[in-house]
Amino acid sequence: MSDYAKAEEFIRNEVAAITGQPFEQISSSTVLVGTGRVVDSADLVMLLIAAEDFAKETLGATFDWTSDSAMSEARSVLRNVGSLSKHLSELPRD
Amino acid sequence: MDTVIVTGASRGLGRFCADQLLAQGYRVVGLGRTPDPKAGFEIREADVADSESVASALKDLRRDPTVYALINAAGIASMNLVVTTPAETVRRIVETNLLGTIFCCQQIAPALIKRGSGRIINFSTLGVPLAIKGEAIYVASKAGVEGFTRVFARELAAHGVTVNAIAPGPIETALIAKVPKDKVDAVVAQQIIPRQGTPLDVWNIVSMLLSPESSMISGAVLNVGGA
Repeated sequence: MSDYAKAEEFIRNEVAAITGQPFEQISSSTVLVGTGRVVDSADLVMLLIAAEDFAKETLGATFDWTSDSAMSEARSVLRNVGSLSKHLSELPRD
Repeated sequence: MDTVIVTGASRGLGRFCADQLLAQGYRVVGLGRTPDPKAGFEIREADVADSESVASALKDLRRDPTVYALINAAGIASMNLVVTTPAETVRRIVETNLLGTIFCCQQIAPALIKRGSGRIINFSTLGVPLAIKGEAIYVASKAGVEGFTRVFARELAAHGVTVNAIAPGPIETALIAKVPKDKVDAVVAQQIIPRQGTPLDVWNIVSMLLSPESSMISGAVLNVGGA
């Protein structure tokens, strides 16, 4: 399984658990931030904490939510499940 | 054993609180620009005004479930008229007092959120409500801390974490060592309780906010001595 696939499966599972929706209904295009989002701000924080743990423990990488490159509005990695999964899978290894 | 992180732990109110916490059985991790090797608790070198320095010093604690509280006591002051305060001094005061508080909160909040409970205690000053002449830059930085505290309290409320600020008047610490006594007395006279506060007065409020019974107090600024 590729790192992207691992990350996407993890994020979909987390979003499904947070929202109570079936795993199958969460896809790479499921919106996390902005219009049509499926999680509120408190849930998003929990998702980011889980993603930070996943990055460290599974990928051996550091997910810094506050880095300019990760969080600039123009290309926010938080747009949807797919963009967050892609960002996690492409993080440099520690 | 619960861990409490204290910034500005080398001296002043931060050091006093760290020593009290240690005596109460907490694991204390202090941050300081010039760590005191004689401190009875773990103290790490960090400049809170530098986000990377903060991130590096607190890296392991960001995911530590024993972390219960963060006390942002690091602060600097410089009494001067606005028009005669050098730009670098302005920048340094705002970076240390306001940005330093924000950077430390950013690093430690994830641990508290994950835990589902915790306390963040920031430090403001009685100078904010009293509008003390000659402290505009310091007061501006601390007014920022108060605004940040109120908003951050809302952001963390859903996670069982309270965020409050303590605003002392002139407490006998190194911070006001160079302030003439008549100036200190003039400020104390404006307090509702016109007595100069002590580090113990401040600690008593810290201790109250740390207690489980304070779980409904958040977004508050507690003026020591009243204003």
